[in-house]
Amino acid sequence: MTGRDVICTGLSKVFGGRPPVEALLPVDLTFRAGGTTALVGPSGCGKSTLLRLIAGLEVPTKGSVRIGGETPAELARRGGIGMAFQDASLLPWRSVRSNVALALRLARQRDDAGAVDRLVTLVGLDGFADARPAALSGGMRQRAAIARCLVTAPELVLLDEPFGAVDELTRARLGAELPPLWRERGTTAILVTHSVREAVTLSDRVIVLSRRPGRVVADIDVSGLGEADIGAGMEAVTHALLTLT
Amino acid sequence: MTARAIVSILGGLGAVVLWQTLFVLNPDGPVIAGPVDVARWLTSNAGLVGRAAGTTLLAALWGFIWGNLAAILMAAFVVVLPRTERLVSFAALAVFCLPLVATGPILRVLFGAGAGPQITLAALAVYYTTYLTLVVGLRAVPQAWSDLVHLYGRGAQTELCAIRARASVPYLLAGLQIAAPAAILGAMVGEFTGAERGLGVLTLRAMRSLDVVATWGIASVAAAVSMLAYLAIGALSRLRGQGPPVLILSAGLQATRAPLWRRIVAVIGVTAALLLVWQVAMDVFGLPRFFAKRPGDVWSYLADPAARRTLLTALSETLIWTVPGYVAGLMLGAGLAAVLTLLPGAGGLVMPLAVTLRSVPIITTAPLLVLALGRGAAGTISIVAIMIFFPAFVACLHGLARTPGQVRDVFASYGAGRLRLLVSAQIPAMLPAFFASARMAVPAALLAVTTTEWLATGRGIGTLMALTASTSDYNMLWSAVVVVALVAVIAYLLVEAAERWVLSRYAAEQLR
Repeated sequence: MTGRDVICTGLSKVFGGRPPVEALLPVDLTFRAGGTTALVGPSGCGKSTLLRLIAGLEVPTKGSVRIGGETPAELARRGGIGMAFQDASLLPWRSVRSNVALALRLARQRDDAGAVDRLVTLVGLDGFADARPAALSGGMRQRAAIARCLVTAPELVLLDEPFGAVDELTRARLGAELPPLWRERGTTAILVTHSVREAVTLSDRVIVLSRRPGRVVADIDVSGLGEADIGAGMEAVTHALLTLT
Repeated sequence: MTARAIVSILGGLGAVVLWQTLFVLNPDGPVIAGPVDVARWLTSNAGLVGRAAGTTLLAALWGFIWGNLAAILMAAFVVVLPRTERLVSFAALAVFCLPLVATGPILRVLFGAGAGPQITLAALAVYYTTYLTLVVGLRAVPQAWSDLVHLYGRGAQTELCAIRARASVPYLLAGLQIAAPAAILGAMVGEFTGAERGLGVLTLRAMRSLDVVATWGIASVAAAVSMLAYLAIGALSRLRGQGPPVLILSAGLQATRAPLWRRIVAVIGVTAALLLVWQVAMDVFGLPRFFAKRPGDVWSYLADPAARRTLLTALSETLIWTVPGYVAGLMLGAGLAAVLTLLPGAGGLVMPLAVTLRSVPIITTAPLLVLALGRGAAGTISIVAIMIFFPAFVACLHGLARTPGQVRDVFASYGAGRLRLLVSAQIPAMLPAFFASARMAVPAALLAVTTTEWLATGRGIGTLMALTASTSDYNMLWSAVVVVALVAVIAYLLVEAAERWVLSRYAAEQLR
């Protein structure tokens, strides 16, 4: 299944309360089908809010999101969106296999044990399919969460700091091994990260958001960078972030 | 066998030894029967007591099932439809605050002979604690788990079935554990209202014939059965790998910012809805007006100054004894918990025994306490205080232990002593547990005082309800039920308001 364009038009979010919190100023963004885009910016700048708006988990205050012409809700109902959360969020009473299979059930898709096992193997958890999350390391839990995110063959993958809770070495390994899983399918991916290196190496475009309320301050093309150019890409992103201080 | 289990057994044996010692020191005293005499009486009446215990347990079991089913359905309902929570929770509280002493006779008239009142009262005694714990459990789900369900376009029902129901099992088991002894209490109160068999019937007979040994024997059996029920569900929790039951005493306090006038309107609206349900239920079931009074009947009756005067006199007699007992029980519970925290390891040793004693229903021990402490103010206040003490003590010990490790480390790094840590960190951490037990103690205190008045003291609104039930003065009986429930609800809301005030100043982070 190939990815779809994600088009955000005048998308903004103000959280109610006293006083109201303006999380995201109106943004117009298009995420190209099959591309991987990283969202970076200071803590609380609205990166995760933007991701949740695209996923349909938050209702926009103004503006809209269209994914290949559909609303997030329409796409979500048939399992077209996969999302990996910062803390893996596996259900502790289910095994790895059962956690992955849960996504199929929620997406009203056929319970395909073969597909579940293939993905569990693909993310390097063969031998741990029947293990409960408590028996896994942080990195293994993130792998299971990525498998769950991909099992419905989504057209859009959203990753909210998926490697944020693991150590640097595991983070580097996951960053190298997992992105090909969605890239090979041509899936559109949007990644929230605090790591400039991760943003540059895992994606082909980096969007820098300002301090709250978030607005786009830089849109940097980092596609096709060779090993020698990664430093330059990181420098460009870092420079954009430094201008915020 | 764990160290705690050994301590519990030793504690139990110590209690028996203390009991025998008191008896030996005062063998001719009218109030105490020694454990040897009690054991002898139980042996010679094993068949009678066994059959009575079986009858009571069967009624308690049915009440336990029905009450908990109702609680589960209500909790699921408010989680799927959160807007109904205020209505459902207030109605649940109001019904829970109905005095069992008065609802028992009314149910006896409605059901006639048989186990109906026992089962209904057992159900009424259990549903509220299960409802509260389950609502907390169903809600205590990480945001990411909910997001996962909504990510695939699924709604609250799927979330309930796929995530929340399973995640709430430890909370449900904790609620059921508290409910098990409460069901036995409810069944015994039901038996007081004119049943033919059961431990409640035996208790009444023993008290009326001033048979001290029999009263102690029946109380011991009822207490043991309650503790066994409590421990059995605790063991079931551990078998399921749930670990020790979580301490959940309330649905949690929300930092509501709704204006006062909106909250008042909401309370008035919910009260009106409850009155409507009362009226409609009576009419739909076609219950005779002679004993099944409607809201209008109670209103008209209370318009009579003489009736109001009788009711208020009895109520004031009751409250004069309830308030000191309530305050003393809470303060003793919190104070002893704080003192034990200053002694290393003491809390952990005392806790298992306190948790077990907490499960003993007041109805089983009230007759003994009245015999021991007398029928006056001292006896009644002590019973209320004891009723409040154990839950407050256990809750506060848990609350004190919940002080975050990092906070303790900060105090330790500055060389702060135990007292400084207690005052500055542990007591603020304890406040939510303290107030949760203070709220739940309101209906418990009223139950304790009305039961004691009914069984022993001959004054107050408990006695008034018992007398009006026996003379078929249903106008006064229903009016008393309404007034006691109203007092309980108002007291509960006052404690909640105090909780909000205190927490906002001393532990603002505890307000959700």
